[in-house]
Amino acid sequence: METNMTGESTASSTSDEPRATDVVVIDDEESICEGCRQALEADGYGTATAPDGVQGLRLVEELQPRVVLVDLKMPGMGGVEVVTKVSEVAPSVVPIIITGYGSIESAVETMRIGASDFITKPFTPEKLLGSVRHAMELTEAKAKPEVAAPAARPAAVPEAAPPSKHSLLLQGLDALGRLSSLGFRKREFLNELRALESEARERAERMGHAKDKEEIVLEMVHDLHVADGVIQKHGYSKSALIQILLDVQTELNWLPGYCLRWISARLNVPETAIYGIASFYEAFALERRGAHLVQVCTGTACHVRGAPRLLDRTSGVLGVKPGETDPEMKFTLQTVHCLGCCALGPVMVVDGNYYSDPSTRQIAKIMDACN
Amino acid sequence: MPKLKSDTDLEGLRQRILAERDPNASCVTVCSGTGCHAYGCEGVADAFVSEIQRVGLDGQVRVRRTGCHGFCERGTVVVILPEEICYLHVKPEDVPEIVSSTLMDKNVVERLAYSDANGQKIVRHGEIPFYKHQRQIVFGDNRFIDPKSIEDYLARGGYAALSKALLQMTPEQVLAAVKEANLRGRGGGGFPAGRKWETTRNAPGDPKYVIVNADEGDPGAYMDRSLLEGNPHRVIEGLIIGAYAIDSHEGYIYVRQEYPLALENSIQALETAREYGLLGENILGSGFNFDVSIHRGAGAFVSGESSALMNAIEGRVGKPRSKYVHTSEKGLWEKPTCLNNVETWANVPFIINQGADWFRGIGTENSKGTKIFSLVGKIRNTGLVEVPMGSTLREIVYDIGGGIPDGKQIKAVQTGGPSGGVLPESMLDVPVDFDELWEAGSMMGSGGMIVMDEGTCMVDTARYYIDFLAHESCGKCVPCREGLRQMLRILTDITLGKGKDGDIELLEELSAFIEDSALCALGKTAPNPVLSTISRFRDEYEAHIKDKRCPAGVCKALISYYINPDDCIACALCARDCPTDAIEKTDTAYAINQEKCTKCGACAAVCPDKAKAVVVRDAVRAEYQVVA
Repeated sequence: METNMTGESTASSTSDEPRATDVVVIDDEESICEGCRQALEADGYGTATAPDGVQGLRLVEELQPRVVLVDLKMPGMGGVEVVTKVSEVAPSVVPIIITGYGSIESAVETMRIGASDFITKPFTPEKLLGSVRHAMELTEAKAKPEVAAPAARPAAVPEAAPPSKHSLLLQGLDALGRLSSLGFRKREFLNELRALESEARERAERMGHAKDKEEIVLEMVHDLHVADGVIQKHGYSKSALIQILLDVQTELNWLPGYCLRWISARLNVPETAIYGIASFYEAFALERRGAHLVQVCTGTACHVRGAPRLLDRTSGVLGVKPGETDPEMKFTLQTVHCLGCCALGPVMVVDGNYYSDPSTRQIAKIMDACN
Repeated sequence: MPKLKSDTDLEGLRQRILAERDPNASCVTVCSGTGCHAYGCEGVADAFVSEIQRVGLDGQVRVRRTGCHGFCERGTVVVILPEEICYLHVKPEDVPEIVSSTLMDKNVVERLAYSDANGQKIVRHGEIPFYKHQRQIVFGDNRFIDPKSIEDYLARGGYAALSKALLQMTPEQVLAAVKEANLRGRGGGGFPAGRKWETTRNAPGDPKYVIVNADEGDPGAYMDRSLLEGNPHRVIEGLIIGAYAIDSHEGYIYVRQEYPLALENSIQALETAREYGLLGENILGSGFNFDVSIHRGAGAFVSGESSALMNAIEGRVGKPRSKYVHTSEKGLWEKPTCLNNVETWANVPFIINQGADWFRGIGTENSKGTKIFSLVGKIRNTGLVEVPMGSTLREIVYDIGGGIPDGKQIKAVQTGGPSGGVLPESMLDVPVDFDELWEAGSMMGSGGMIVMDEGTCMVDTARYYIDFLAHESCGKCVPCREGLRQMLRILTDITLGKGKDGDIELLEELSAFIEDSALCALGKTAPNPVLSTISRFRDEYEAHIKDKRCPAGVCKALISYYINPDDCIACALCARDCPTDAIEKTDTAYAINQEKCTKCGACAAVCPDKAKAVVVRDAVRAEYQVVA
């Protein structure tokens, strides 16, 4: 690895190189400091340690690491104070809290003041590295956009130039380099890519190759970008899960499986928990919806005024049952519990326009007008 | 806007706003609630703005897009102030006439005014029977306020109660006032709000939370939405006062995602309140700190249950937990949490402003104040109505609601939503009162009131509610999940004509079991629609089971559509509207091919009134019955 290179070459290769100190560990237990240092250095992170808050802060200010691990309970300056002060002396540093089992609640508190995660003692090197890698990703997000932007788009390619094979290749290599600096192995990266590709292939087959695999991959990447933006907006908070799902649903009009897996990995929440929520609430669609949403209100007021008959008629015209989408992906028929415009009941809503008890021919006309 | 730092600042601002407003200047208020949006109120308001500009009245006449006026049946509702001229069913094309006749020449456009049963025109808002028989207190300011304008709210006396509570009263005095007023929770249970506040206040644990429950899940009820979207500051003011009394510094508003306008308006109201220093640190210089965040619900009926709602805010599935310890002691993140419904919080500023005695002067012995109902179903005037507790259902249905349309007979009134029960015509003199409604076999609920006429099948209604509840059951406890599924199966069989002797008893037995053993209020009250329809309309169940007929002509398996050849005028409307081409031409008329017919009722809906040839008859016997 690059750490074995000579001093000269290290100096010549600039920002892509991991900095001398990536992580500072602050803990009054020497065994913890030493254990962390060994695990982190084995994974390629430059690591420094300090036995208390005061010395630790000095190190952070001096070395400007990317991540700092702080023990919650230390004599003298406690973890909460350290985290608060770290944000003053080194704003771009992402703090992680180390805590004993009994004080998880206070650790959660520290997340409110800026810690990105907490790990409970005793922890395995895997747990430690997982948390540090995630924090490293956050440092990317924390870095100023004007610094991040040129890195994402190599300066050699002017902004307006169309992407060429070589410029994209450069971007890919750039990404690979940065991934390895985060301790992410190439094989894992390729596995992710393969999984994405094979899902795209399956979907292309299911759609009878109406779109080719490459087009679908692009769509999926777009969707993942959207999901990631939403997660970032909510500050990677687990308690914002439902809000994140709602926002992704609003943006994409449904919740694709690959986005749910992405959210699961990003928030470190099990997929089952995410599916538990996504399948529990009415608002979430786990199947892709048609271009036009046709809703028939089945609230009580509409029901007594003949909603079941309106639903039959609508279903007859569209040729789909409630909850289904037609094969051309044009219409999705949905029932809703009360739209709160009971005076119009029974009511049908198509793309936000309300229709009071339309006849079969009116329904057909409304659907024809949808294009 | 500099932050308001004292009551003097607040009053100063209010005086400045009032000084800028001439009470005699014309103002066109256009109802912009969700109901009127469905009618296209945006277009009406836009038309007013451009027409007023065109005739050069801008600067003299204001156009205000207000919250819901309540008279949803006649949307878009427009009221011209200060004369209080009320126009109904206004369309954008009516606007030029209103501007030239009413705003310029001070004449009334008669065709747009309310006309009573005798054709008599009623022009003034307050004289229209729908409004005249109400007592709008909580809902009253809706029609004067643009929900996006805090100035409008301040001009109506807004945040005066907050300033009084924070600067002139101790938290204990605020709590005592709410207890003394005997404000009971408007969300359904009717639990005294003051006692709930006190429990949270005294419970050990810090921080404490306060929550506005705007997860209105009752299908057919939309009072809370209209309050929150029409007058969000009222709810926020109530919440801050409550937080002060409870000693909470963090609040949540839990709104359904399906209520986009309520969401938008409450988010905006919170931002403005913060900007004015009515939320945040040291509110009005009192030293009290408080802020509120919004949490969007993703639409599940059970998530309106307090413990389920708190689970959802914590980011978990919105399922209830058993409440050995009340949420008021251990709620959100295991901390003491006080959750009240939108309407409950909205009542608080009135109690502080006008005193507990004033509040207690309205209503009955044990139910004080007013209640807002969403009066819907087979009723002439669909809308939101606010009445003092103690008003009878008959007054609501006939005096305010205008009775049943199309000359039909009323059969029942359903209150309490899916947890409530039906009250037959003979019980319409029951007063609106938490305890009286409970004794009559229904409940107050959150305020859904569905009127049913002779064309409503009570078995179908019970099946509808159980279908809804079985679908909405979170599945956590067996009695609710499996019990409701079995009840749904039995009820579906009955509506399909496959009912058996003993089904009614089996339903009763299952109901008793679910009531006893379900985990949360959804399950415990789920059998109510079945039990109350059985007890009041057993004959309808028996007709379905024994005679295989649906007296109301609703249950599809038990009816068939039939075109009476003597009445058919061969207009072919039904044949053209039939989605399955089941209607064929005979020599002089049309006839339905029963094999193809899906009984969607499209033919009956389009058959012209002068013919009324499409009738519903029993599938088993050949007794005719005109379609409801």
